[in-house]
Amino acid sequence: MNTIHRILSIVSLVLAWLILSFVFSPTIVPGPFAVLQAMWENVRSGQAFYHLYKTLFRVGFGLVLTMALGIAFGTAMGLSRRAEVFLESWVMVGLTLPAIVYSIICLLWFGLNDFAAIVAIGASAFPAVGISIWQGIKGMDTQLVSMGNAFKLSKGAIIRKIIFPQLLPHILAAMRYALGICWKICTTVELIGMSSGVGFMLNYWFGLFSMSQVFAWTLLFLLVMFAIEYLLFKPVEKRLTKWRNDVPIPLSA
Amino acid sequence: MIALKEVRKEYLQPNGERLRVLENITFEIAEGMFSSLLGPSGCGKSTILNLIAKLDRHTSGDILVNGNKIGFVFQQPRLLNWRTVTDNVALPLERDNSDKRGRRELAVKYLDLVGLSGFENYYPLQLSGGMQQRVAIARALVIDPDILLMDEPFSGLDEFTARKLRQELIRIWRETGKTIVFVTHSISEAVFLSEQILIVSQKPATIFKRVTVDVPYPREYGDLRLFEIETSLTRDFLEMNSER
Repeated sequence: MNTIHRILSIVSLVLAWLILSFVFSPTIVPGPFAVLQAMWENVRSGQAFYHLYKTLFRVGFGLVLTMALGIAFGTAMGLSRRAEVFLESWVMVGLTLPAIVYSIICLLWFGLNDFAAIVAIGASAFPAVGISIWQGIKGMDTQLVSMGNAFKLSKGAIIRKIIFPQLLPHILAAMRYALGICWKICTTVELIGMSSGVGFMLNYWFGLFSMSQVFAWTLLFLLVMFAIEYLLFKPVEKRLTKWRNDVPIPLSA
Repeated sequence: MIALKEVRKEYLQPNGERLRVLENITFEIAEGMFSSLLGPSGCGKSTILNLIAKLDRHTSGDILVNGNKIGFVFQQPRLLNWRTVTDNVALPLERDNSDKRGRRELAVKYLDLVGLSGFENYYPLQLSGGMQQRVAIARALVIDPDILLMDEPFSGLDEFTARKLRQELIRIWRETGKTIVFVTHSISEAVFLSEQILIVSQKPATIFKRVTVDVPYPREYGDLRLFEIETSLTRDFLEMNSER
């Protein structure tokens, strides 16, 4: 049932693309075959792997930095009232500033290198993660903690067995969301200041007005995102939230 | 044995004033006895349980508790929804370094005692409220406690489920011989379950009266002797409220 719908949704997307490509000229909407051909050329020449690797490298470390900062800020704000008051304005500023501002500042400060890209990604994506963890801790069931105390569990055991499992769904959700933000910021940084990566290639082909190559790189990007979502995030999430999946949500009582 | 002598408990309020919750609480509970603390909601009954469990400190007086292994059952089941029923019951055992298989075997044994065999691998959200409370009782018993403290464990359940669980609790108590301290605001529940009832007054709480229920187990709902005790307790309650 689900698989059929999923296949149908993808087929309909490709069909819509095909129809549009017949309506418009190839310089505006190139057809699926021209794009696949361009993609195949990129793969054969090794270009696809090189630039994809560069982008994945930056996104990967950017995501690690994002999660580390986000969890640190979120935990501090969730557990301490003082930290909450102190850090709230930081997070608000971080959330409000456009990612492009961080990108420009980091490129000017650190130069046109991977480090600048990673810092820019971490700085712009971590406030959203921080807020998610912060709310997760605030919404935690404290009665379960007092249950742990009543059964004389150690502080470490309470954190590992009662607090962390309640936070895990929030961390996972924040991570998926953060991955999307990190990709977007990374391509922006690559576009304005890098000489490698998917964002750089998009900019390069944009300069040469090659629509089929712009589409080819976008499609590659999408395919990798899908792979990460369905081969990594979905299975991990399904495993970790098995206890919830088995119970249907009773929308109509 | 549990013995409290002239126990007082005060909390410091945010405005600096002292709020006296318990005033001169004195009572004794013998080994293996089923006792109830009966009183209106919010009168400080739960505070007494927390003092017995050493989860809170009293301001003055003496508290003597024989045995340091204490099982606790709360008003809500307070289960870890991401663990199976068996792993929930085994949770209090995890602080000792026993092997995992031994812990599971013990958990399964107590699940059987509370009538949940066959549900070992279920998750809490797949069970009804009454069954979840049975899991909580098994979790309290699995450590083989010297004392079982129960804080209004059946007040969140419908009357039919609660009645069934009360009968089962009596069976479990007679099988295991635990000392049970049961907090409730329901007169009929206290009378049906207990050998001794300690009536707790409004804040600051004192023990208004001690009543023994001299009716042999197993008791039946609708037993006239129980009904008479219930009626006289109701009179005591009215008298207690008019005094204040």
